[in-house]
Amino acid sequence: MTAIFKFAAGAALALCAVTAQAAGDIWKLPVKTHTLENGLTVVVSEDHTSPTVGVSVVYKIGMRREPQGRTGFAHLFEHMMFQGTPTAPKGVFDQVVQGGGGVLNGSTRADYTNYIESAPVSALEPILWLEADRMKTLDFSPQNLKNQQDVVKEEIRVNVKNQPYGLFFWTDIARLAFSKWENAHDGYGSFEDLESANLGDVAAFHRDYYGPNNAVIGIVGDIKADQAFALVEKYFGALPARPVPKGTDPSEPLNTAEKRESQTDALAQVPAVALAWKAPAQRSPDQAAMAVLSHLLMGDSASRLYQGLVKGRQVAVAVQGGYNWPLGNAWDFSGPALLTVLILHRPDASAEAVVTAIDEELQKILKEGVDAETLARVKTRLRANYVSGMEPFLSRADALAKAQALWGDAGMLNQIPGWIGAVTSADLQRVVGTYLTKQNRVVIDRVPAAMAAAKQPAAAAKKE
Amino acid sequence: MKTLKTLAVFAACMSFGAGASAAAAELQLPKDLPPYGADKPVPVPKIDKHTLSNGMTVWIVADAEGAPKANFVLAVRGGSAHDPRAANGLSSILAGTIDEGTKSRSAIQIAQEQQSLGASLGAGAGEEGTTVSASGLGSNAGKILQLLGDIARNPTFPDAEVNLAKMNALQALKAAQAQPGYQAEVEFAKAVFGDHPYGTGEQTEASIMSVTPQSLRELHAKRFRPDRALLVVTGRVDAAEILRVAKETFGDWKAEGTPEAEIPAAPTAVPRKLVFVPRANSVQSSIRLGRPAFAAQDPQLYKADVAESILGGGFGGRLFQNLREDKGYTYGAYASFGADRNGGSFGAEADVRNEVTGAAITEFNRELQRMIDEPVGAAELERSKRYLAGVYLYRNQLRGAVASSLAGLWIDGRPPEDLGQYTERVKAVTAADVQGVARRYFSPQEQSLVVVGDPAVAEQLKAFGEFKTVAPN
Repeated sequence: MTAIFKFAAGAALALCAVTAQAAGDIWKLPVKTHTLENGLTVVVSEDHTSPTVGVSVVYKIGMRREPQGRTGFAHLFEHMMFQGTPTAPKGVFDQVVQGGGGVLNGSTRADYTNYIESAPVSALEPILWLEADRMKTLDFSPQNLKNQQDVVKEEIRVNVKNQPYGLFFWTDIARLAFSKWENAHDGYGSFEDLESANLGDVAAFHRDYYGPNNAVIGIVGDIKADQAFALVEKYFGALPARPVPKGTDPSEPLNTAEKRESQTDALAQVPAVALAWKAPAQRSPDQAAMAVLSHLLMGDSASRLYQGLVKGRQVAVAVQGGYNWPLGNAWDFSGPALLTVLILHRPDASAEAVVTAIDEELQKILKEGVDAETLARVKTRLRANYVSGMEPFLSRADALAKAQALWGDAGMLNQIPGWIGAVTSADLQRVVGTYLTKQNRVVIDRVPAAMAAAKQPAAAAKKE
Repeated sequence: MKTLKTLAVFAACMSFGAGASAAAAELQLPKDLPPYGADKPVPVPKIDKHTLSNGMTVWIVADAEGAPKANFVLAVRGGSAHDPRAANGLSSILAGTIDEGTKSRSAIQIAQEQQSLGASLGAGAGEEGTTVSASGLGSNAGKILQLLGDIARNPTFPDAEVNLAKMNALQALKAAQAQPGYQAEVEFAKAVFGDHPYGTGEQTEASIMSVTPQSLRELHAKRFRPDRALLVVTGRVDAAEILRVAKETFGDWKAEGTPEAEIPAAPTAVPRKLVFVPRANSVQSSIRLGRPAFAAQDPQLYKADVAESILGGGFGGRLFQNLREDKGYTYGAYASFGADRNGGSFGAEADVRNEVTGAAITEFNRELQRMIDEPVGAAELERSKRYLAGVYLYRNQLRGAVASSLAGLWIDGRPPEDLGQYTERVKAVTAADVQGVARRYFSPQEQSLVVVGDPAVAEQLKAFGEFKTVAPN
């Protein structure tokens, strides 16, 4: 029976890596790109195995570059993109996409915002028309803004304020690890900032960042590349390019002193600890090695932290995390990123014991390197993850559009296998020694309030 | 699927966009909007069906193109609904530990072998079936199937692994209990199914602790048997070769002893219950309403699918449009039918800010009543059917989803052909069918209501009847 249909958000897409081994499993994606005169780039990958298409429109603007004093604005704006235009009033977009058999969504990340649809190929033309229509202008109405301010606040309540842990491993970890506002602020936004947003902000943001020259469209599925190019030309060709404000430089050096924070959690019942290290920048020669290291540490049930902390030492209940986690993967960012580990731990084990155990696992890699068999296994698994992550047309369209937007080259996706395949044990040691150091680390331990209160008298008694 | 034994707690994240489409009047479409193109035929999966001499069913859907990936589901009859109430969690711990050691492989060997095959393997327990699933690189299909076979047939449930799994299950239960959605679902199941096993599956510390390696081994011996097992294989595989490996892996498996008994049919009507679960300092109320409905083999399922998508499917559903896009009460409001082998339910849900708890229930009731009072218009009906057909296509692009869907049909007691016929059956649904479903299942007076929220919101519930306050689970 149909469950409530929900998209796997970008965070769930385990687009990782590939190694070139068994010939039958090499999956080179056909990639064709074309740039319109107005600067809009189109990336197409044909696949005729299902009579459907996946479409992703990626704009090169995200939370990192939203205006100061307007935390959460890039995301609020994303919601406004679904509120109608002068020619297609509120409601038309969903009605036409869903009525065409399509599903749709949007998401906001640090370096981009994407708008995605998957539908039978018969709905492709209306979808492209609608995307072009909202790229042109929006219905900047006060009712729609008020409505979506309310909706976004409910989103934050349901995902953060009413949830144990409250996404501290994303927002608080970033605040602690980064120094520049662009990287450190809460991308979901404060209620105060969200409420302050006005229609002038919405119009300016659309004008500045939502022009064709700041966007990429990925189309994957049952359509010929030439046909897709012609349709995009037909519907987007007349849109003029618009000047994009020059952004500030968000890059930051590695940290030189460890930072720690303790928190209590009124809703949680199981203690948690999160660690993060500033990680290699985009295009760094260490990027592929960090992707492999991330999988080696916490990618699956054979991983070092799972085996070492959940199984071996039995201090942890669950381990998760990754490079550019939880809102992306090793390849879909352009500004600074973190390697993050989140651990729910046993109440009878301290956060310190967890941190020490992680240190021991890292030291082991630093000293001994990683044996050839393990490294080969991890690379094989990454290759399989790559195939799975790219299997849905929609994920493939989104990955291609993001690669074009963030790397200037959609074809980079086909290079990842080679990059991963070339990673050596020495590379992993270098990455551990350079990035996963105590100085470059931030740690937040989060204790259930009830547990913290119970510990209080015991600690006091001890003092006496 | 267990890879890192992640907890649902962390699944949430940033942003599902928005959506809109006017609930009431039909919108005027822009004059320049191009029309939909001609529909292409819906591909129907070609299922290569076999029965091994020991009674095991094998279905293969092989593709010559597409992602270089193979997908497997081994399903057996019997799941959580068969757990003795004092041992709730037995089936799920069995699923969690079945890959923690076999007669010839240790837990770490199994984990490492998955990596080297580029495979991901996991097990799960539903109400009526238990599955062991795997997917991985197509070139390793045979070896992945052999590993899957060893895990399904020869698990040892080592003491140390079972004890660790129990300790972690206790923590996972605590973590779940901290979530309002978990509290709401437990109470909802009780309200809708009463004493039927679908309503009494709640795990407790004691029920988890009652599980032993011995009880797992006994359950495994009873439940995992070829005459009540199905293997589905889909993806880029060679059908003849896979059948050969399946015979080699499972051919000498023998059924022994008496199989588990069928559980009784779930109720199709119960007196409504109004339940409030106080959760101090909650900033939202989690609202669930619903009632028992029908089992999975019931042909009204297709009509119900159309009705649910009009009322509460996706961004275009009436509940989403009203409670979110019009009122701004919530991040999302949805409705759906759920159907298992021996019964099912209708349910609707939203998490709303405290001040509008009562107002939100009023809107739920209004939309339910409107489905009963007014026949759905032709355009909205057509959109809904096209949407369901499109979602079908979208899901079945993934060969892994085809495998799970086929296994689900088998567990539900439905023929595999139902999958390929889905779109045609949905197309046949009429406005009168939808109204019939609404009359039978949407009456506001028959919906049980569960609200989890701050004690102060109880005041707003008084208008809807007398709520029984229950302690959080």
